[in-house]
Amino acid sequence: MITFDRSEALRYLGYRGTEPDAAVEESLVRCAEGLQDVIQPQSVFRRFPLRHPAENMLDVAGVAIHSNHLARNLKDCTDVYLMAATLGIGADRLIARASAVRMSDAVIYQAVAAAMIEAYCEEVNDMLRRKAGNYGLYCRPRFSPGYGDFDIGHQRDLSRLLDTPRKIGLTVTESCLLAPIKSVTAVIGLSATPQPCHRKGCEECGKTDCAFRR
Amino acid sequence: MELKERLGKEWLFFDGGTGTILQERGLAAGELPETWNLTHPEEIISLHCGYFEAGSDIVNTNTFGANALKYPHNLRRIVQAAVAHAKEARRRTGREDAYIALDIGPTGRLLQPMGDLPFERAVELFGEVVRIGAAAGADLVLIETMSDSYEAKAAVLAAKENCRLPVLATMIFDEKGKLLTGGTVDSTAAMLEGLGVDALGVNCGLGPKQMQPIIKRLTEVSSLPIIVNPNAGLPRSENGRTVFDINADEFARLMGEIAEMGVHLLGGCCGTTPEHIRKMIAACRTKSFAPAVRKHRTVVSSFSQAVEIGGKPVIIGERINPTGKSKFKAALRENNIEYILSEGMAQEDSGAHILDVNVGLPEIDEPAMMAQVVTRLQSVIALPLQIDTSSVEAMERGMRLYNGKPMINSVSGKRESMEAVFPLVKKYGGVVVGLALDENGIPYTAEGRVQIAKKIYETAAFYGIAKEDIVIDGLAMTISSDSGSALVTLETLRRIRDELGGHTILGVSNISFGLPQREIINANFFTMALQNGLSCAIINPNAESMMCSYRSFLALSGQDEQCAGFIAAYGNQQAALPASAGAVMALDESVERGLRERAAEAARDLLRTVPPLELVNNELIPALDRVGKGFEKGTVFLPQLLMSAEAAKAAFEVVKDAMRGAPQEVKGRIILATVKGDIHDIGKNIVKVLLENYGYQVIDLGKDVPPETIADTAVRENVPLVGLSALMTTTVVSMEQTIQLLRERKPDARIVVGGAVLTQEYADSIGADCYARDAMATVHYADHIFES
Repeated sequence: MITFDRSEALRYLGYRGTEPDAAVEESLVRCAEGLQDVIQPQSVFRRFPLRHPAENMLDVAGVAIHSNHLARNLKDCTDVYLMAATLGIGADRLIARASAVRMSDAVIYQAVAAAMIEAYCEEVNDMLRRKAGNYGLYCRPRFSPGYGDFDIGHQRDLSRLLDTPRKIGLTVTESCLLAPIKSVTAVIGLSATPQPCHRKGCEECGKTDCAFRR
Repeated sequence: MELKERLGKEWLFFDGGTGTILQERGLAAGELPETWNLTHPEEIISLHCGYFEAGSDIVNTNTFGANALKYPHNLRRIVQAAVAHAKEARRRTGREDAYIALDIGPTGRLLQPMGDLPFERAVELFGEVVRIGAAAGADLVLIETMSDSYEAKAAVLAAKENCRLPVLATMIFDEKGKLLTGGTVDSTAAMLEGLGVDALGVNCGLGPKQMQPIIKRLTEVSSLPIIVNPNAGLPRSENGRTVFDINADEFARLMGEIAEMGVHLLGGCCGTTPEHIRKMIAACRTKSFAPAVRKHRTVVSSFSQAVEIGGKPVIIGERINPTGKSKFKAALRENNIEYILSEGMAQEDSGAHILDVNVGLPEIDEPAMMAQVVTRLQSVIALPLQIDTSSVEAMERGMRLYNGKPMINSVSGKRESMEAVFPLVKKYGGVVVGLALDENGIPYTAEGRVQIAKKIYETAAFYGIAKEDIVIDGLAMTISSDSGSALVTLETLRRIRDELGGHTILGVSNISFGLPQREIINANFFTMALQNGLSCAIINPNAESMMCSYRSFLALSGQDEQCAGFIAAYGNQQAALPASAGAVMALDESVERGLRERAAEAARDLLRTVPPLELVNNELIPALDRVGKGFEKGTVFLPQLLMSAEAAKAAFEVVKDAMRGAPQEVKGRIILATVKGDIHDIGKNIVKVLLENYGYQVIDLGKDVPPETIADTAVRENVPLVGLSALMTTTVVSMEQTIQLLRERKPDARIVVGGAVLTQEYADSIGADCYARDAMATVHYADHIFES
């Protein structure tokens, strides 16, 4: 059972501050229940030391990452948590099934599942924040391959370092997409100093004309 | 002694963890353990020596992740070295009595259609490892830690096709007894037994304590020797290191308990060490050994469900079949797989337990269609399938790609039929329908049919197929030409059950060919057949009269505890008002509000006074346009747009039925595809629904479609407009390649693109003719192209 942000799901469906009509609301409730029945949320994380061998270059467990955005996100960090999370294959099946007969349901499943994986990642993130707190460390906002100039190809490295296929059934396709679809991999910086401003994924992204921007 | 002769007859012990021990010895996170076969040979040999010395009878090579995806350049050396190290350890420890298992783990990729690895590619990848390992001298193949039954099937087929060694398989279940992909102990065991593995079981994921319910179930359903290789308890993180929560003594004690549950091969997985194994062997060797017992269960399975035949009668949905159905035939000709899927889903919702799949039509490539339909059906439907075809090639394609143990329809008592079908059943597994007819035709008497049934059982046994994997079709023949035929069929059912101890099946509705109001006869005959012992009924589960017979029979024959099933089906019936109870809503309003049933009803109502074309042009299209405009203005949102489209579609169907025979107007034909490498097809599917609404015929090529397929189709079908979708920057590259190929092969085709990362600029840079920011924009562009 994942408590997700309903307004987030509505935003993915194109609603901005408008409430859905009764028919859509009914579908939203029904689809959310359907998803809760089939999802198997699982996650894995691991802490690694972080090195900054050069400007805008990072090194995690021997993986070199060239990214201005990530380097800025991880400024002053000594370690990182790598994390991966997935809702499992059940959500994919439900979306595929609806796509064949009722697209209106498919888009709602899709939006609700997106809000659910987001909420689940937040849960994992909270747990990691508490864990870090025990060591007197502060977590930076979660940052995923594909955000800004953090190459999406690094999904593969994160998957390998966390052994995600075996541990949580999360795989990476040849073109670096995650399968099951409703999955996330991310880097979370650990620093001895708190960061005053918590910029999250959307605000950090360069694509300012995106229809889904918050 | 040969391993096969010892399996299931005496205690045999596996080794323990490999990866976890190598990590202790310095293997870094993310480092591929198999590389140590080349870089740290002595470490690997000493690891194996530890297990041989501890008493393991079977030691696994360090090849868990060895495949050509991870080792494109040095796979051969990696695998050969692995087998050589195990042999060297066996020599050093003087354990020539022990066996070396070629260890095969999952590829780390998800198979199509949920992932991007084609099934046959997985078979190839595993096959390569098996060939190298067998040639290097492995004694058996151990397929382990499989969390996807489909991938496990690929691995077993690869092992069987590439070596003659014993093949053992263990799966990884969670505490609920499920695979990550949804499989259960029952469904997985049915599939693996069908594929002919020599032993099966569980490994990894859980400790011995948590595994016990899973093991118990396995001992109840499986006829094969059972393997149990748990972790050393559950993992937890300690100062950044993964440690397991039970020590060697506790592990040995719990494994001793498991040894008393009726299992046959014991060992360990993550976190276990030679010490765990030595103590385990000491605790288990003295336990009394119970050989594997045949269960004689008749079971078919899907990726997630097992259906047992022989208990409560089983309903097999007959609707996926073109015979006598013009819409279904059209769907096959137009490759409209969605139509077939919707037929499947409707039957699943109506209460079918298994779906019959027949896609035979003279003018189509049946094997290819069978492959496509089986693959698509099993990705959205959880019911087991019955592969129904007279083409042996189509049968094999379907059985091979099927994710589970299928039902097969059919074999007959004809020699030629048995020679063609039984080898396939032996290889892929399945429960096969045996028709009680042979070279001399259909016997008129029950005695004649029973004799053919005997012949089928005997011949099957010769191929190594057990009696429980056959159900006999007693053959329902119409009473309109022979009034005694139902009695012969019913007697056949009884005698198969009572004299031969077999299971039976009937295509129930055949009984009424040529009669009026066939459902009346069908439903009553169905009840009689059930009373005479029918095990499986091929019927239309959407026909309420048939399901009434079925549910009544269960309630009356003591097979519906407290009539719960009956009450669940009919208890609320009075409360549910038929859709036509209220006043008829106007068609345009029904469409705008997205009410499917109302729209269909309004269309039916309107057709009494208004000609079909007028209805479309004056009511449907304007309503759709208003919704479309609202969407563009931002007052109507995507779910409403689609609901309206679905309501309009329901009305269109009514109109089409009314115009049956009249030529259908198609505004134009459009190809849609999600490009190669991309498995996100939701955007493409939205566009498809809307284009169809606006009168276009869509050739939907699906997702992850190679450029060649798109270009070939555009040329072959002479399609003037192609729509391409891509979600990620990584797959826009294939979009560009597809556009280039289309420009070469079909220069007059226009190309419209869409998808999350695309922008006008991006679309221009890859040479598309149009960037569509949403589904309506694609409709407008199509209108523009086809109207000019």
